Amino acid sequence: MSSREQILQALAQSSIDIEMPQADLSAFKSPATDTNTLLARFGESVTTVAGNLVDATGEQAIIIEQHINDLMANNNQVLSLVEGVSGNQQMPDSPHELQHIDYAILPAKFGVAENGAVWINTQMLNRHDTQAHRALPFICENLIIVLDKQNIIATMHQAPELMSLANDDFGVFISGPSKTADIEQALVVGAHGACTLTIYLV
Amino acid sequence: MYSSNNHAKNARIFCQDEGRVDWHSKALWNLRAKRDKAAASIPEWEALRQAGSQIKLHTLSNLSHYLQMFEKQCVANGIHVHWAKDASEHNKIALDILAKHQVKKLVKSKSMLTEECHLNPFLEQHGIEVIDTDLGERIIQLNNQPPSHIVVPAIHMKKEEVGDLFHEKLHTPKGESDPTRLTRAARQHLRDQFLSADAAMTGVNMAVASEGAVVVCTNEGNADMGVNLPALQLHSMGIDKIVPDHDSAIVLLRMLARNAIGQPITTYSSFYRGSKINGEMHIIIVDNGRTEIMKDKILAESLKCIRCGGCLNTCPVYRRSGGFSYNYTIPGPIGIAVGAQHDDSNTIPWACTLCGSCTYVCPTKVPLDKIIAHHRRLKAQAGKLPFGKKHYMPLVGKLMSSPTMLNCAMSSARVALKIIPHSIIKPFSGAWGQYRELPVSPKSSFDTWYKQHTAAKKEAK
Repeated sequence: MSSREQILQALAQSSIDIEMPQADLSAFKSPATDTNTLLARFGESVTTVAGNLVDATGEQAIIIEQHINDLMANNNQVLSLVEGVSGNQQMPDSPHELQHIDYAILPAKFGVAENGAVWINTQMLNRHDTQAHRALPFICENLIIVLDKQNIIATMHQAPELMSLANDDFGVFISGPSKTADIEQALVVGAHGACTLTIYLV
Repeated sequence: MYSSNNHAKNARIFCQDEGRVDWHSKALWNLRAKRDKAAASIPEWEALRQAGSQIKLHTLSNLSHYLQMFEKQCVANGIHVHWAKDASEHNKIALDILAKHQVKKLVKSKSMLTEECHLNPFLEQHGIEVIDTDLGERIIQLNNQPPSHIVVPAIHMKKEEVGDLFHEKLHTPKGESDPTRLTRAARQHLRDQFLSADAAMTGVNMAVASEGAVVVCTNEGNADMGVNLPALQLHSMGIDKIVPDHDSAIVLLRMLARNAIGQPITTYSSFYRGSKINGEMHIIIVDNGRTEIMKDKILAESLKCIRCGGCLNTCPVYRRSGGFSYNYTIPGPIGIAVGAQHDDSNTIPWACTLCGSCTYVCPTKVPLDKIIAHHRRLKAQAGKLPFGKKHYMPLVGKLMSSPTMLNCAMSSARVALKIIPHSIIKPFSGAWGQYRELPVSPKSSFDTWYKQHTAAKKEAK
C-alpha cells in the first residue's frame, strides 16, 4: 500500500467524525465604508508597516514622472511595468540579472485598508506581453507601486473575489518593505526583499 | 541534539543567569503586549477566532476529502505531489528530487516541519549544502543550535553574541553588535547564497484545497527570494495545513501575524499555484504522527494550530525556562501538546501551571491547557509518571478524597506552620520551597469558615 493510501486510510479511522458546519463568513464580508475613510485607513496602515504613501491623483500625477526622472538622472537602474511610466532597463532573460535593479515600478491590482497590503499577481506582472520574472518584486532594492485609489478594499475578506488566482499561477500580498526583528527584537527595515516601498495613488 | 532530560533540570541550566531570564521573559511579553494591541484593534476579533476554530475543525473532520481535492487541483496546475508517512520518507523524497536535478546548494526558508524531520543533517550527509535563509534561522544554523522559538528562533541570543558569531563566520568587524549593521551583513551574505542556489525549499502556512495553492508567509522575503530564482521549488507541509478555500485562508491570515508579533499581516503572503515558466514545483505532504494524534479526540484539536507562536510568548513557564528545555523541536504549550508523546523523560507535560493563558490567546482556540492535562493522564495511564509523582500522587489522591483525613492533615499543617520555625519545616517542602517562602498559617480551614458563615447567615434570617 502506498504512503498516500496509508495516510488516507488512517484518516478514515480518525476520531473527529463530527461534521462541523463550515464557518459562516458572510458577516465579515460587507463592511460598508466610503472611499475617503478607506483611503485614510489605508494610509495609516501603510505608515504602520513602514511603507510610504504618495498622493498622485489628478493633477498630482506628474510627480511620478518627476520622481522617476530624478532617479534615472542619479544613475539608478529603473525597470517599470507600469503603462506610461518608462524606466531605463528591460526585462532580462534570467531572473538573476535582476539583482542590479535599484527601483522596480509595478502596478498593483488592489490595496487593503486594514493592513496596507497590495496584491500583485502574474496578471499584473505580465502586462506588456513580456513575461516578467516572479522574483522582481522581491529582488529589487526599492519597490514602487502604482495603485488606483478606487481599488482599495476595507478588509482581507473582500480579497478572494479580486485575487482571480484561477487564471494565474502566482500572487502575493506585499505590506511594506521587507523587515526583520530577529536580533534582539530590534526592528530593522530591509531584510532580503526590497528596502523601501513607496505606493503612488492614482 | 535534544537530550531527554527532565524539564526542571533543563530549565535550571537556562535559569543560572537570572538577568538573562528576565530579559528573555520581557522580550516575549513585549510580543504578547503587541499582540493584545493588534487583537484589540479588530472589533470582530473573537468572531474571527471562532471562525478560525470552526474552519480548522471542519477541515480536520473532512481531511481525507480535502487532501484529495488539494492533490487533484495541484496536479491540474502541473505541480508534483508526494506523500510521506514519516520523517525518513519525507527526507528521502526530498533527496531524490534534489539528486535528480543535481542540486549542490539548497536555500531553505523557515519550516518547523523540516526541523521536525531533521532534514538538514540528512541532506548534508548526502553532500547537499543547506542554507537556512531566515535571519534568525541562519544565526542558529551558524551557531549549531536548533530553534528556541517557532517564530523568533534566535530569541535566546543577545546581539553581542550574534555580533561575535558574525565576526567569526561572516567577518563583520570585531565588537559590532548593532542590529541594523548585522542585518545588512546577513543580507549581503544571503543574497550571494540566493543567487547561487540550485533549488529552494519552504514550509507551508496554508494549503488551499480548492485552488491547489500553497500560501507562504515571511517578513523578510526570504521564501520568495529563494523560490523565484532557481528553476526548482519544493514545499513541505503537514497534512494539517489544509484549508478548504481562499475565504478560509484569509480568516487565518488576518490572525496569524497579529497574534504572532502584533503586525497587521506579514510583509509577504505569497500564493503559489504552479511553477514559474520552465520551472518545476513539488509539494511533499507529510503525516509523521499526525494521523495518530487524530485518533485521540482531545489531542486532535492540537492540529488546529497555525504556528503563530502566541502561546509561547504568553507562557509563564516558557518565558522563564527557554526553548531548549522541552526535549522537542517545538517548545512551549503547543510543543507539549504535539510533542509530549515523544518525551522519554516524561516530565514535559508538567512544564505548565495550567493557567490557561495559552488557550486564551490562541487564534484557533486550541484548548492547550486541556490537552496538556490530558497528556498527564495519558502518562499516568501508561505507568510513566515521573519518579516522585508515581509514588506520592496516589497517596495525595487518597488523602484528598477523604474529608476526615484531609481536614486532619491540614489542621496539623496549620499548627506546624504556626509553632515550628520555618527554617526547620522548609526542607520538607522539597522542590516547591526552593524558590518560595512558606505561607502564613491561616486561622482556620475554609471548611470551618464556611460552616460558621452559613450558620451566621441562617441566624440572621
